[in-house]
Amino acid sequence: MEIDVRGKLSFPGGVHPVVGKKLARKSEIRPGPAVKQVAIMLSQHIGAVCQPIVKKGDSVGAGQKIGDSDAFVSAPVHSPVNGKVKEIALASHAVLGRSPAIIIEADPENNPLRELCAELREDFDAERYSAEEICSAVREAGIVGMGGAGFPTRVKIEPNPRLPKETMIINGCECEPCITCDYRLMVERPKQIIGGIKLARKASGCSRVIIGIEDNKPRAIEVMSAALKTSKGCEDIKVVSLKTKYPQGGERQLIRAILGENVPTGGIPPMIGVLVLNVATVTAIAEAVVCDWPVTHRVVTVAGRAIANPSNLYVPIGTSVNDLIEFCGGVTHKSAKVILGGPMMGIAIADLTIPITKTTGAITVLMGEEIGRAKFARRQTACIRCGRCIEVCPEGLNPTKIAHAVKYNFWDVAESYYISGCMECGCCSYVCPANIELTGYIKTGKIFLAGQKKKVPG
Amino acid sequence: MLKDIRVSCSPHISGPFSTRGVMVDVIIGLAPAMIAAGYYFRVHAFVLISTCVISSVVTEWLCNVVRKKSNAFESLGDFSAVVTGIILALSVPPGLPVWAAIIGSVFAIAIGKMVFGGLGANIFNPAMVGRAFLTACFGMLMTTWTVPATIDSAMPKIAADGVHTRTQATPLAWSKEAIKTGKGAEVVNEQLSAAFRGEVGGCLGETSVLALLIGGIYLLIRRTINFHIPLAVLLSASVFATIAYLINSDAYVSPLCHLCSGGLLIGAFFIATDPVTAPLTTKGMWIFGIGVGLMTMLIRIVGEYPEGVMYAVLLMNAVTPLIDRFCKLVPAGGEPGV
Repeated sequence: MEIDVRGKLSFPGGVHPVVGKKLARKSEIRPGPAVKQVAIMLSQHIGAVCQPIVKKGDSVGAGQKIGDSDAFVSAPVHSPVNGKVKEIALASHAVLGRSPAIIIEADPENNPLRELCAELREDFDAERYSAEEICSAVREAGIVGMGGAGFPTRVKIEPNPRLPKETMIINGCECEPCITCDYRLMVERPKQIIGGIKLARKASGCSRVIIGIEDNKPRAIEVMSAALKTSKGCEDIKVVSLKTKYPQGGERQLIRAILGENVPTGGIPPMIGVLVLNVATVTAIAEAVVCDWPVTHRVVTVAGRAIANPSNLYVPIGTSVNDLIEFCGGVTHKSAKVILGGPMMGIAIADLTIPITKTTGAITVLMGEEIGRAKFARRQTACIRCGRCIEVCPEGLNPTKIAHAVKYNFWDVAESYYISGCMECGCCSYVCPANIELTGYIKTGKIFLAGQKKKVPG
Repeated sequence: MLKDIRVSCSPHISGPFSTRGVMVDVIIGLAPAMIAAGYYFRVHAFVLISTCVISSVVTEWLCNVVRKKSNAFESLGDFSAVVTGIILALSVPPGLPVWAAIIGSVFAIAIGKMVFGGLGANIFNPAMVGRAFLTACFGMLMTTWTVPATIDSAMPKIAADGVHTRTQATPLAWSKEAIKTGKGAEVVNEQLSAAFRGEVGGCLGETSVLALLIGGIYLLIRRTINFHIPLAVLLSASVFATIAYLINSDAYVSPLCHLCSGGLLIGAFFIATDPVTAPLTTKGMWIFGIGVGLMTMLIRIVGEYPEGVMYAVLLMNAVTPLIDRFCKLVPAGGEPGV
């Protein structure tokens, strides 16, 4: 390959966490365990919670819609398996606590393991579909931002006359340590990703498409570039190599690195005419439109140094974390922390029955010694105002000022230092020599301030 | 199966940084200056540095006991008291009696740091507070300069009048003399190479330019300090020194001489860069550094004292909160829209 994979583009700030990418990098995507039971959360996205449209005892088929909402910002949920609705009850959710879910008992006889969909042909033509068709297929398939945010994709790609979009950026950065699910998708299903890109381009009316990949994934860059060359109608799609730095995969940082433009603080990318989609999301778009198959499965990386066989699995949504860890050989070391997502932004969970959702890209299990080095395990000392948090903040904020304002309840100070501009990437906590959990304070402050703004009901 | 799993806020991993690491880096950065001090001032260096370090640490421990801290030893582990002790020792005259060094260290830690609440809460650089106290109390002792041990004290050129055997004036004292009399600046300029090695009179750790540069560059490479403050201090000092030099090169010594003499280098690399008492933002660091350089030069050229780094740093420490407020960061995405 003659292309230079060394990335030159980047954003100011950021950190270089110890990369655990090697763990599952070579593990091909394979089907996960045969599940006995899945728990489909009714809220797997940003927006209105779905209402169940099946009843207890109903038989459901794989791919059948089981929950939906009339709201514009929402996404339906589907059953990944053939089986029977066991109950509609509360299940543990990593963020929302106990929240409503549909528990489906899988039929042990009639449930073939679903493989990752077949690769699209090179001459796949997105022009066969109209923009409206694509948008409604995306909506019906319940596609949400699968990089982690979970914003309903239909709302994102549909043309909006008030915020016209010109540039589409495909996010293949995957900057979190340990996670490799997007990398494997790019290496194994480049044509399907490109098919999804064509469909999203058609639906959104974007004229320019850029695929951004960090330069620690040279193979992904090569495979994607090669696939673009042989595919039809991709002359204006280009792959851009970016410097490896966390959080390069944050959409604001990605836009900053590729286009050199800043998304306004508190704003969204369409304000500067940009649409950012994750590679897993575009894969789902291709599957939804071409195969008419909703989001029922996704690729999940199960990794971390405590996992016996780090793997990339294609698993039904609703599978419990416990099943996946067991399937990967369990844990070898005395493990200490189970995280949904990567070690920088993931959510530590205490209840291993938590089901994975559309936005769960990884399960990371950290060893005791790894978390022994983390902030919360050590005593917090006084801020020495060294300014490292300011240096690394990708949003150009003053984390120490905000965190201390939150600590001492100076809410107006926290707001005047733009607490809402924080995207909780964790860089400030990562570098703090005084072991201050800056990100934790800022998160707490954001939740408190959001609560303050709510009106008392009634 | 999984037992004893813990939950906490993200991020779940953490970089290899600690306050102690920062302080150890500063100590390593100061090591060349300490070695140079040992070479030029022999036993004085050893006595002063160990006195200051020990009395600083003991004072911090005592303060913790008085404050009824559950573990009075805990805060000693960050080594910040050691750094304060070393910097104080390096910025006093080599011949300072041990009892005076103890008084300085106690004042530096107790009044300079612990009354504010310990590391991170102090407004002024503790070592400079201690030194200012010593200057105010024992002005004579603080301006008596021992000749470096490597100099043959009989050499007529070194001692100003060829008679002094144990003490001599510093280059800055001479330059002050030159300013007053309006001539003789070239005598100081000729001492430049001696000052670069450290073979001149002066404070214990301030004399050797070479050693301080090595230490400063180490800190810059380790990214323990940013280049902004040292660069701003040195640039602004040389700008003002150059202006004076161009006006009257007989009365005012060359800018390079100003940079290489007195506490300017140790101040620029080790004292003004104390993170606790310097501004947080890059813009603030530039303002702070320029202020330190300007103040130093004003005191050296216009003021009554031959040396001004200490007061310059203390004065700028006092305005640091204002600078921080003035240089508020704007987020990368600009002011949030309403």
